[in-house]
Amino acid sequence: MMRQYLLTALLLASGVAAANVADQSHRSQVGGVDLVTYHTDVKDVVVILGSLPAGDAMAEPGNFAIPTLAGMMLDRGTKSLDKFAIAEQLDNVGAEISFSVGTQSLEIRAKCLKKDLPLVIGLIAAELRTPALQVQEFNKARQQFIGALEASAQNTEARAQEAFGRAIFPQGHPNRPHTVSEYEAAAKAATLDDLKAFHAKYYGPAHMTLVVVGDVAAADTETAIGKAFSGWTGGQDYVRPATPALLKSASEVSVPLTDKPSVSVIIGQPTGLRYKDSDALALRVGTAILGSGFTGRLMGIVRDKEGLTYNIGAGMSDDSIVDGRWDISASFAPALLDKGLASTRRELDRLWKDGVTEQELAARKQGLVGGYLVGLSTTAGLANAILTNLQRGYDVNRVEEYPGAVKALTRDQVNAAIKNHLNPSVMVLVKAGSVAATAH
Amino acid sequence: MVEKFNKTPLSRNLRAARARGACMAALGAVFFAVASAAAPTAVSPAAVTPTATAPRALTQPMAAPASAPTVVAGFSYVKSLGGIDEYRLDSNGLTVLLVPDHSAPVVTFQVTYQVGSRNEVTGTTGATHILEHMMFKGSEGFNDPKGNSVKQFLERVGGQFNASTSFDRTNYFATIGRESLEGYIAIEADRMRHLWLREADRQSEMTVVRNEFERGKNDPNNVLLEEVTAAAYVALPYHHPTIGWKSDIEHVPIGQLREFYDTFYWPNNATVTVIGDLDPTATLSLVKKYYGVYPHSPAPIPAIYTEEPAQSGERRVTIKRPGELGTVIIAHKVPNGRDADQSALEMLDAILSSGKNARLYRALVDQGLALNAGAGTDPHHDLSLHTVYAILAPGAAHAQVEKALLAEITKIKTDGVTAAEVARVKQQFIAADAYKRDGTAAIAGEINEWIGVGDWTLYVTFPQKVQQVTPADVQRVAKEYLKDDQSTTGWFIPVPPTAEKGS
Repeated sequence: MMRQYLLTALLLASGVAAANVADQSHRSQVGGVDLVTYHTDVKDVVVILGSLPAGDAMAEPGNFAIPTLAGMMLDRGTKSLDKFAIAEQLDNVGAEISFSVGTQSLEIRAKCLKKDLPLVIGLIAAELRTPALQVQEFNKARQQFIGALEASAQNTEARAQEAFGRAIFPQGHPNRPHTVSEYEAAAKAATLDDLKAFHAKYYGPAHMTLVVVGDVAAADTETAIGKAFSGWTGGQDYVRPATPALLKSASEVSVPLTDKPSVSVIIGQPTGLRYKDSDALALRVGTAILGSGFTGRLMGIVRDKEGLTYNIGAGMSDDSIVDGRWDISASFAPALLDKGLASTRRELDRLWKDGVTEQELAARKQGLVGGYLVGLSTTAGLANAILTNLQRGYDVNRVEEYPGAVKALTRDQVNAAIKNHLNPSVMVLVKAGSVAATAH
Repeated sequence: MVEKFNKTPLSRNLRAARARGACMAALGAVFFAVASAAAPTAVSPAAVTPTATAPRALTQPMAAPASAPTVVAGFSYVKSLGGIDEYRLDSNGLTVLLVPDHSAPVVTFQVTYQVGSRNEVTGTTGATHILEHMMFKGSEGFNDPKGNSVKQFLERVGGQFNASTSFDRTNYFATIGRESLEGYIAIEADRMRHLWLREADRQSEMTVVRNEFERGKNDPNNVLLEEVTAAAYVALPYHHPTIGWKSDIEHVPIGQLREFYDTFYWPNNATVTVIGDLDPTATLSLVKKYYGVYPHSPAPIPAIYTEEPAQSGERRVTIKRPGELGTVIIAHKVPNGRDADQSALEMLDAILSSGKNARLYRALVDQGLALNAGAGTDPHHDLSLHTVYAILAPGAAHAQVEKALLAEITKIKTDGVTAAEVARVKQQFIAADAYKRDGTAAIAGEINEWIGVGDWTLYVTFPQKVQQVTPADVQRVAKEYLKDDQSTTGWFIPVPPTAEKGS
């Protein structure tokens, strides 16, 4: 893993672009797929990560269960192999392929030994290109989806997330979630024809990305992908709203769930920012000072000093492709809820009014860069960093540029980003658990 | 901060494979990770960086053999196995495991104490875990007022760190740049014997731990597994959950925590594991510099002499709470984690629940009876617990699902398993061995679990033992351990919730 060692070592030493990721990686269009290969000297192991714009946001009106159902059908057989045959081929070599559907993307994850890379790429391609889409399997997938939805109906964190997303993102915004009931109704109404139409329209290489990291040579990867994806066409771009989400007034939503000893709480707002926007990184670092790690203000004060919660933190998310969200999430016992909320609000207001200190910023920048580099020390971590950067609209080089970007931030930039993009007076509060039903 | 629940199941790669798919992964987490109550955690630093923490599935041991033993005055070389070198600090009995791996300029440092909820009694249940939390409240040399506490230091250098408690052990760990190793060793060593244990800190941390307890109680499947475990063990302290009973969490006196600390937090009850870009001589010297100042414990570490009486009939537990989907768990006590039959049990579990060709998938999930079904052993220092479980699909009945689970166990007892099934699992272990080479933190996690079980060398030898398992072995252990009269069966029966599913 010497190349990976060099990359991480040089970044650790300099924090700037001393190691050139572009020189060590290979990016090409193969079979219409945006492919990045990065060779490390880890013996035999290969990690494949990928994304394809076929997430919930692409759903046709009234049919928003279809993207998830389509993703669930991929490993249930292809035109030439049934699901058991696929599983057997993977199990026989200890390889893994999995698919998951998010807001914007179908995410692809795989892991295999070097010798099995052509097999695994071939199976990924077959599952994406020629899924069997048989009615019997469709009905099973639908039953499992509905079951998973029903299981989530009593999960305080899932229900809080659902309510929060609906409160801050308007109708039509890709990040606005549907309710459990809506999903369940949509799943029940979905047809296999709907699913086939969705697959035909959205599954294609046009905006698909694959990142292959490990004991691989770019030429071998290109050969395998060229063979497996040759002749495949189609695909759609990500969905981007014309205008970002914006809150005009505060609101509070309670989601009552019985017999829950801990209440899940979210306070926040849409940011109107994409990850790549100019103020976004400064706001992220300011947010980390408030709510990341043990030494973030929220953990350090609301948990550590006041003992009001086990878990509290702040973060920004859902902003790789469209404007995203900012939130504080926490859990409180019902008896400590009011006190916990008051402390949380106090720290939020203090951040907004007074900003961060030079000392806090210096420590946090150092920690963020150090943690980022530790994260790059595994093949999967490196693959994830590359794919995430591509999804955010950067080139591969961003992997090495990120530490420098963090280090260059000033206190004025961070505090201005907090002041300009956060507004505690219009934030939404969501409580899910054994609380009284209120919504106003 | 790496994980909230860090109890690492053995053969994590296989278990991860079994949990393929979002729904299954979530449920797998329920059934293979609940036994542990982890330390402070918060939003991951990854939330602000362009990459997330690496998935922990890709990991484990080094293939390279250990080099010649390092000679550092004061240390005795004990043995080497699978690229891991064991040393003993002569002055106080501290065990040190070194795992050099120069693939990245990072190291994982971990200290494992041989104390868990197994060492607790009525009134002090959960004390091990509370003490683990108190270990973040500062020590004489390293604390918040000085600006050099473990949290401040590790977050400043970007360390990925946490701690966890389980039935058999407590561990503290961090993955850091190699240049930060000495700083972390100094802190970790200081809190071994110079921890602040103040009543004010206990009071504020008690409510933190209680909220952790409450969060666990939000999930009826956690509650079910706790109750099944409590019913399965009558005498052994595995009867009570690692996080403890609520009244004990609230009332355990600071003096009891101090007594616990002064009994178990000694070098001769600890194992230091260092994995990554390390120089053996320099690392041993650092360990000696900071841990060598302590003596051996003044009294022997107390042994557990309790034995579980034989079970002579089926036990049943029912949980009724608001929810949507039911659950069935069938548990059996099986030998301790070091026992020779564990490898055959591992094979049995993989055949039952690894992937779409697994027997439980075909018999329950594919037939629409369950959303997820699996099997696994939580290996313990003493009697371990084997579970077979299913999350019911909408409309499925508990009795029907229990019958289907039992039918699959009976088939293996009666007809055995095929050579092809055994061969497939062996191949998965071979691949998993390669995946182990990518990353240091998960290696530490798995070694930690084997230390808790009582023999770290099983980290190396267990996969080899699995390669020796025959179909006859699998049938034999199923017959020997999965007996109806020695089972404990739990049902979670959801009652209609009063809240609506959403607007």
